[in-house]
Amino acid sequence: MKATIAQYYAGDSLLHRLDPRAKFVAVSALAVALFVRDSFAALAVYAAAAALAYVLSGVPVAWFWRAFRPLLWLVALTFVAQIVFAPGEPFFSFWFIDLSRRGLELAAYLSLRLVVLVLVGSVLTLTTPSMALTDGLAWLGRPLRRLRVPTDELALMVTIALRFIPTLLVELDTIMRAQRARGADFRRGGLRERMRSLVPVLVPLFVLSFRRADELALAMEARCYQPGAVRTRLHPLRAGRADAALLATTAAIIVTGLLV
Amino acid sequence: MSGFQAVAGALPGAPGGPDAPGAAGMSLACGHVSFSYEEARAPIPAVRDVSFELRAGGSLALMGASGSGKSTLLQVVRGLDAPESGAVLLDGAAPTDAGYAALQREVGLVFQAPELQLFASTARDDVAFGPRRLGWPEERVTSAVDTALDVVGLPPARFAERHPYALSGGEQRRLALAGVLAMRPRLLLLDEPFVSLDPGTRRQLVEILHRLKAAGVTLLLATHDVDLAWALCDELLVLGEGRLVAAGPWDFSPDGGRLLAANRLREPFFVELWRRLGRDPQRAPRNAAEAAEALS
Repeated sequence: MKATIAQYYAGDSLLHRLDPRAKFVAVSALAVALFVRDSFAALAVYAAAAALAYVLSGVPVAWFWRAFRPLLWLVALTFVAQIVFAPGEPFFSFWFIDLSRRGLELAAYLSLRLVVLVLVGSVLTLTTPSMALTDGLAWLGRPLRRLRVPTDELALMVTIALRFIPTLLVELDTIMRAQRARGADFRRGGLRERMRSLVPVLVPLFVLSFRRADELALAMEARCYQPGAVRTRLHPLRAGRADAALLATTAAIIVTGLLV
Repeated sequence: MSGFQAVAGALPGAPGGPDAPGAAGMSLACGHVSFSYEEARAPIPAVRDVSFELRAGGSLALMGASGSGKSTLLQVVRGLDAPESGAVLLDGAAPTDAGYAALQREVGLVFQAPELQLFASTARDDVAFGPRRLGWPEERVTSAVDTALDVVGLPPARFAERHPYALSGGEQRRLALAGVLAMRPRLLLLDEPFVSLDPGTRRQLVEILHRLKAAGVTLLLATHDVDLAWALCDELLVLGEGRLVAAGPWDFSPDGGRLLAANRLREPFFVELWRRLGRDPQRAPRNAAEAAEALS
């Protein structure tokens, strides 16, 4: 019940309605562009575009914050590492820390770039259901099928895995509660003790997962699933004018970023 | 049932071990208990302002439609979730009182489908998990495990060294129950214990619960099965959307009947039979034996 890791925010914004393939291509292109040129001006252009996308998505700030919070450490680490290790003429020295103008600039630039990257990436995952995303990726990966890569099967695997993550988390929670009711304590003791205390949780969880996988495989076969067979889709992906507009806008943003 | 004779000796009052469950039942009182699940958009209230009392050695059926808050209430009573407001009193002690944690350890909670939580490589080790966590000396653990296995009809001589996953579904359910009983609970909370059991195992489980009740263990039983609730429990508590709809002795007046129907429940079979026979439904028998006696 408490386990909400699926980041998708159900909504009906312009960005929600766009084709997942177009969104994925746009976000990937922007992510690459972010690393092509080191300039504050370019970063400002991309940051503005990311902020605009965020506003258009209609997702509450709290949701972005939840997606962003786990990465805060990474941003902080980047910032500190740059300040400490960046070259340049120090204007302030203490112990092994040399603060330089260049170092501060670099720290600010790299941290900001990371923030923009996360922002762009989370706009994609927050406005696209995981199933649509895997469908889109499967379509984009189709050329690989010539190399005998089973892209559709891989996509289905990813879809199923994503689908069962929340279920598994709920089950994990239930098993932990049941063992706690029998006196288990997952917070006490050293590392070894804590690892041992997980055995009563992990064994039932694995048994349950294997059983579920078996049942799911049987149920899929009973409903005529055949690996390798060409599957049609209930909701075929359809790209329209809005998607073309997205790609054109993204291209324009990237060009602007390269020129400023 | 091979465990039957062994059980008679294992219960208090008979020459059994010191670790038979429920030397004396624990009383329970919930005062204005509320609990909500934290969700991303808004908290979802699961239990709202629920108050009731259950005397030591009493038995209470916790009923209500799916999603009415039964499981959540049981987990709050066991202390796995802290109530947002209100308090759970155990033997009259409040959570702030000294010794409350010790009382909580004497509350056993059997989850829905508890066989899904078995993990050890022998039945004995699985049942011993709780007693060992209580820090009991090994001799006491052994005697508690043997007694609990006997109580649930899995004689240790035959079952203690078996692998839990090699047992049948019904045996696994009873093994999981033994794992809770070995901790010697004085208040036993059961969450839908009869679901997906075959009729034979269901009957065994009813007999086990009858014996625990006779031994003085306080029972709080969440179930959808009105016939078993009527067979086992003196009182009834109905939840609807997390709120207390009714609490107290069974009431088969027209008002009581409407209340049951409004909460997707019905009258127990013997109550309906008594009504159709023109007898007082309030004095309906609890089981077939009582019915046969009344009718002969």
